[in-house]
Amino acid sequence: MAPAVFNLIEARDKFTAATRNALETRTSKPLMSVFNHFPGNETEKKSTLDQSLRGVLEEQILKHADVEDHLSLISISISGVTEGICSASTPFLLLGDVLDCLPLDQCDRIFSFVEENVSTWKSSSFYSAGKNYLLRMCNDLLRRLSKSQNTVFCGRIQLFLARLFPLSEKSGLNLQSQFNLENITVFNKNEQESTLGQQSSEVKEDGMEEGEMGDEDTPAPCSIPIDYNLYRKFWMLQDYFRNPVQCYDKFSWITFVKYSDETLAVFKSFKLDDTQASRRKREEMHTAGGEHVYFAKFLTSEKLMDLQLSDSNFRRHILLQYLILFQYLKGQVKFKSSNCVLNDDQTSWMEETTKLVYQLLKETPPDGEKFAAMVEHILNTEENWNAWKNEGCPSFVKERTTETKPQRPSRKRAAPEDFLGKGPERKLLMGNDELTRLWNLNPDNMEACKSDSREFMPSLEEFFEEAIEQADPANMVEDQYKVVRNSNYGWRALRLLSRRSPHFFQPTNQQFKSLEDYLENMVIKLAKELPKDLPSEEIKTGEEEDENGDNLLKESNDSPSIQSKLVTNSQMDEIAKKLGAQWKTLAPHLDVKEAEIREIEADSDDVELQAKMMLVSWQDREDAQATMESLVTALNAAGFASISQGFSET
Amino acid sequence: MGPIELLHMSVFSQSFSPCGRFLAAGNNYGEIAVFSLSAALSPDATDASQKPVLTFTAHEGPVFSLLSTDTHLLSAGNGEISAWSWAELGKKNTKAVWTKRPDYKTSLEIPEINAMIINTRDNSLVVGGGDNNIHIMDMETGTFKSVLQGHTDYIHCLSLREREGEILSGAEDGAVRMWDWRTGHSVHCVEVYKYEECARPQYGKWISCVATDSDWMLCGGGPALSLWHLRSMSPTSIFSLSGCQREAVFHQDLIFAVGEGPYVSHCLLGGSVKAQIPCTPPSLNTLALNLGTTEHRVMTVAGSSNQIDVFTNFSYRAFSLSF
Repeated sequence: MAPAVFNLIEARDKFTAATRNALETRTSKPLMSVFNHFPGNETEKKSTLDQSLRGVLEEQILKHADVEDHLSLISISISGVTEGICSASTPFLLLGDVLDCLPLDQCDRIFSFVEENVSTWKSSSFYSAGKNYLLRMCNDLLRRLSKSQNTVFCGRIQLFLARLFPLSEKSGLNLQSQFNLENITVFNKNEQESTLGQQSSEVKEDGMEEGEMGDEDTPAPCSIPIDYNLYRKFWMLQDYFRNPVQCYDKFSWITFVKYSDETLAVFKSFKLDDTQASRRKREEMHTAGGEHVYFAKFLTSEKLMDLQLSDSNFRRHILLQYLILFQYLKGQVKFKSSNCVLNDDQTSWMEETTKLVYQLLKETPPDGEKFAAMVEHILNTEENWNAWKNEGCPSFVKERTTETKPQRPSRKRAAPEDFLGKGPERKLLMGNDELTRLWNLNPDNMEACKSDSREFMPSLEEFFEEAIEQADPANMVEDQYKVVRNSNYGWRALRLLSRRSPHFFQPTNQQFKSLEDYLENMVIKLAKELPKDLPSEEIKTGEEEDENGDNLLKESNDSPSIQSKLVTNSQMDEIAKKLGAQWKTLAPHLDVKEAEIREIEADSDDVELQAKMMLVSWQDREDAQATMESLVTALNAAGFASISQGFSET
Repeated sequence: MGPIELLHMSVFSQSFSPCGRFLAAGNNYGEIAVFSLSAALSPDATDASQKPVLTFTAHEGPVFSLLSTDTHLLSAGNGEISAWSWAELGKKNTKAVWTKRPDYKTSLEIPEINAMIINTRDNSLVVGGGDNNIHIMDMETGTFKSVLQGHTDYIHCLSLREREGEILSGAEDGAVRMWDWRTGHSVHCVEVYKYEECARPQYGKWISCVATDSDWMLCGGGPALSLWHLRSMSPTSIFSLSGCQREAVFHQDLIFAVGEGPYVSHCLLGGSVKAQIPCTPPSLNTLALNLGTTEHRVMTVAGSSNQIDVFTNFSYRAFSLSF
């Protein structure tokens, strides 16, 4: 089939009809089928459908159709986008059209729908196409709304934008830290304009708040006198809060300080008390009215001055303005010009005043302490935002680091090698000959530490040379003159052994009575290992006589005598077999206690086993002394010479 | 007036004009200054409007007491009472309308007059002072018609309970006496310093201020400022203010008191001190509330300084008038 020429008119009519159909059934199915069955290019069909959707919406608006109908049409367009039959921007165009054409109270309902679908707008298919549309739409709405009347709706729009855009989105940001200089607080600067002094209606020229009062024919004489002095100074301060840069001007600063001191003195003197508004009254206020009453702009009539001074909320506003101003003056702001710096006097005044302001906030009921703490916390947080802005608003999404190499932990101070060698000929000049020499000995501290000259530990041979010599029985050194008897030497020897000798960590079943014994044993071991000309045989053989028959020495050398051999398991089995029921006779001779004998009896009925257990317990107790020799002696003493004979001979 | 005189000036008494637009103040040099409140409170007030519109010497000694009637300003100094017409003062005419002296027993000594009040019930002027007696002068005829005797030391202050027809007087002897002005007899005598809760022996026993409001009485001085229930004749609250209080008044549900120290104390009837509002003079003698008219409802306080502090809102000092 040849590609038919796309018939726009026909397509639009068909789509429009299908849209109406879809609107009635509230599903996009009819639209889908019509779209799919209609011949033609995808793009052409899409734009035609967009066109017909907008057309249907226009009809609806002209008909003053219900808001729900508009919303369902938009819903259809959304599902159209997900099905791929209309372009992604269509729902936003429709929304824009609707909001542009409807009165504000209906916009409110439309906007509720927009708020509910925040996740839809944020989904990938809509976000890039629609974010600009949504921003424009919101800004248009904000422009239509009154800042003082529709505070809630304005706030909702702002919240929606905050939800829609990522944190680091810069479009809503006051990047240059500009002030809203249009926010001028109007008050009676001029005496003649006062309502009280003149009581004429010519005050209306400016259309200020107090103009309302001029309308009254006979203004009732005010019973409360007005402190014009304070009134003017008080409201003059608002100009500084509006444009803080003024504070950097010398003369404005002086007036600012003067006015502030007076105002704060009044706040300090005029203590508000909690009892003024009784608890019951406040509770009533909370239940009936709900939230705090909020004014977008201060009312500056002089007649209100007295009431405002006794209003804790009002006072909080003013005090908070001070804190915010001070934060700006103190803070580092990127776009503050360089001549905007405070001198010491200003800084100290500001610090004092900040303290005073916090003090006043704490004194202001209700919950002054809590409020002050909260304010302090919020302002601290604000510092972070400030820093963020100064850094050019970096994104909060952290990129996953691609490199797997663990980074070296940063050092607090630059290591010497980082800056060493920066001088001529890679030499660091310390400004003092001796220091320069020392610093230039070796640029790398670790290398310097590894050098041979830093090696202070003596070698084994060196250290034990004397001890080995003395251990040699041929040298006939008396025990008490041996270096191993010196506790100082012993300590150093132990340390050295732990560093250099594998024997130190070898498990041994020998029990040493003292450090000296142990050292002597070690010395002998070392002497055997060391490549010395000393004939090792001499040491081995001479031991028995010269070392006072130390058991450890007996054990450590391979003496051929049977007696000194330890009793082996098989030997014990044999003896136990021979002993049989008579084992109890042998027990006293092996120093086995009565209690142990009873225990052995209780453990087993087999006499042979009991005999074996007795021998094992003896061996456990005696450990290294459990030699064949002592066993034979015991056997002989117990009258089992026949048994012992077999062993002593072998 | 030289700077030394200004430095050593004390203001002892104040009185608002019946129209409420002027304030008269008397100092220790026998001078009375008249200030225009309407000028000082107007939006276009300048420094000049905080200066007196008229200053004149009224007595040789200090002006201890000032009082306004419907038409006249009464001033009392050492032993004499003078009257000035407010209308004439407005025209800067400073000639006294009349001057009277109570009948003192001895003519050797001239006792000062510390306090004056008007008893509107029989249009008489009640005067108390240094001769320990209260003199009552008929305002119609200008004659002294009776003397109330009972105090043993000089009288500091007077107060009137109109409904009960009682005059209260506080004196140096430490007693507050209540007099029936019809009979001229003392009906009660409260010796405040004898009550342990009020007594402050370190300050003495004298009573320097008395104020009443229906069944309640405030008195202080040497003893602590205390609120008394007059039916039961017992102290109900004691205010823990340091120093001696020289003037105390009831205002709505608050009590304002001034005395030693540069502040006006706001006390609650329960006995707690709600606030102490700083002001210029280091010590205060007098406090006045301009409640007679709807306009210029201010409080003024004065003391050992040539400054008279004006409070538009009772909680902070707005500005000062000065001699």
